[in-house]
Amino acid sequence: MTDPYKTIKAEVLKVTDETSNIKSFLLKPEKKFSFRTGQFVQFTVPGIGEAPFTPSSSHFEKDEIEITIMKAGRVTSRIHELKPKDIIGIRGPLGKGYPLEEFEGKEILILGGGVGMAPLRCLLLSLLEEKDKYGRILLLYGSKTPGDIVYAGQFADWKKRGAEIYRSVDRCDTGEWKEKKGVVTCLFEGLKLNPNNGVAVVCGPPIMMKFGTMKLLEVGYKPENIYLSMEKNMSCGIGKCGHCACGKYFACKDGPVFKYSVVKDIEGIWD
Amino acid sequence: MKFIDKKDFAGFVEELSADSDIFYPKVSGGTGDWAKWQKGDEFSLEGHRTVLPIKYFFYSPQENLVAKERRPLIIFGARGCDTRGLELLKKIYLDDPEDPYFRKDILIFTADCTSVHTDCFCGVLGAHPRAEKDFDLNFSAVSDGYMVEAGSEKGEKILQNNSDKLENASDAQKKERENMRASVEKTLNGQNKGLTLDLQRLAQNVGTRNSSFENQGKTCVSCSACTTVCPACFCFFLSEGTENKIRYTDSCQLPGYARVAGGGNPNKELISRFMHRFGCKFSWRPSMHNNLGCTGCGRCIPGCQGKINFKDVLIEVAKQ
Repeated sequence: MTDPYKTIKAEVLKVTDETSNIKSFLLKPEKKFSFRTGQFVQFTVPGIGEAPFTPSSSHFEKDEIEITIMKAGRVTSRIHELKPKDIIGIRGPLGKGYPLEEFEGKEILILGGGVGMAPLRCLLLSLLEEKDKYGRILLLYGSKTPGDIVYAGQFADWKKRGAEIYRSVDRCDTGEWKEKKGVVTCLFEGLKLNPNNGVAVVCGPPIMMKFGTMKLLEVGYKPENIYLSMEKNMSCGIGKCGHCACGKYFACKDGPVFKYSVVKDIEGIWD
Repeated sequence: MKFIDKKDFAGFVEELSADSDIFYPKVSGGTGDWAKWQKGDEFSLEGHRTVLPIKYFFYSPQENLVAKERRPLIIFGARGCDTRGLELLKKIYLDDPEDPYFRKDILIFTADCTSVHTDCFCGVLGAHPRAEKDFDLNFSAVSDGYMVEAGSEKGEKILQNNSDKLENASDAQKKERENMRASVEKTLNGQNKGLTLDLQRLAQNVGTRNSSFENQGKTCVSCSACTTVCPACFCFFLSEGTENKIRYTDSCQLPGYARVAGGGNPNKELISRFMHRFGCKFSWRPSMHNNLGCTGCGRCIPGCQGKINFKDVLIEVAKQ
């Protein structure tokens, strides 16, 4: 019997500083590692702990995976100390990913905030890889300041590959920001969208997810066409330990991607 | 249906101990706790549930997740509430991907309750004070011995191997068992005033904040005793050892249970945690696992540091 709690070893190949508290880790698992975009892995620091992250690299890449991590707690603080050649563990892939087959032929609006861009990058790269299958691909991305933008150097490339990109920052003290200022929902202003044949995918801090979802509903998206990546405390990752309860669902097994229509009545989903 | 005389019972246990560890309910001061059988120990299967459920035989409250060499185990004297709790645990732990550390080599010998604890309320949930399935052998106390019934192939084989100690149960014994079961059920229903809860209504009501939760939950101190003694609570925390993972039982009643890095916590408020347990047991598990998360054993009631009577909470919430 395979042991779902066993990790496979992975070598840290490269560490990239994205912002002052966010780093990306390029990993080489000791064997091929397949996942679907939106699925997550448990990142294990031996002897320290595990934490769940959705890879930010394309799911078409099988030899290496990249994971972008914000320093937010005990385990992520230790992860941020990792250097190339360090060996860590990964466990997964876990959960259900984005249902890409349901996105085919549709306009896809990706709404991201802060480090929530990490799983969305994986989605975006996977979509761009097979761009002909989908309609317009729009990325609306908000961050606190220009210095908090993750993957800052990559937006131009995504644009070149066919994504429409709109960005905002909450504030800019240096005055060097030529794009929009305001919370991410300000990006909807003047934007022509096709909610009747479109889906929206949201990932970011809970407050941004809440107001982003409200905005999507306001501009005409149906609850069943809004996909949310729910951040929950995930320990086992396989629907047994109970921590990630999201109403009757276990976010690790039944999610972490949920249609808004499925979770909208659950108390505390934005907390 | 077989019968084993009390004078042959000790020999039956001793024979089984040659291949298996045996645990039984050791009663002292009116309460039963699980004890490992040693040569010469004598025990009775009469009485009611133990303080702790049988779940910790299947996974330890704290364990290294490594392969272990163990002797097979037989639990004598599990009650209906134990097996009903285990039914949910099996659905969680053995669902794909199966948890390889959840024991599957344990034989369960249940026994009909011949008395009830003052907090027992399985009848209120529509259940009976005995196991109706999920046992290898079931024992029903009658005069001078036990009627024994096999509930699995393994149980059947044990009966075959011990045929020298068993005889066919007589009609009088069968009648005696019927009477005993009816009498215990009468006592149980008497202490619960014949009440049976509308579980569908309860499932709807547990999801909403209401005055019953607010009032009843205010003495909760988040100690997690209720989840520790519950036969159907299954939560655990997976921790990282240097060589392997370590599993600890965990509780939705503890403040940090649902907290994520950065501090977000959907169950920060005590009342949310208090409600979480009821939602899980009466709405979410029935919906997702087709299984109640409560057996009506009432273990949580004397266990509660805040003197919360969970049965009363259910009755109140179901009335809303």
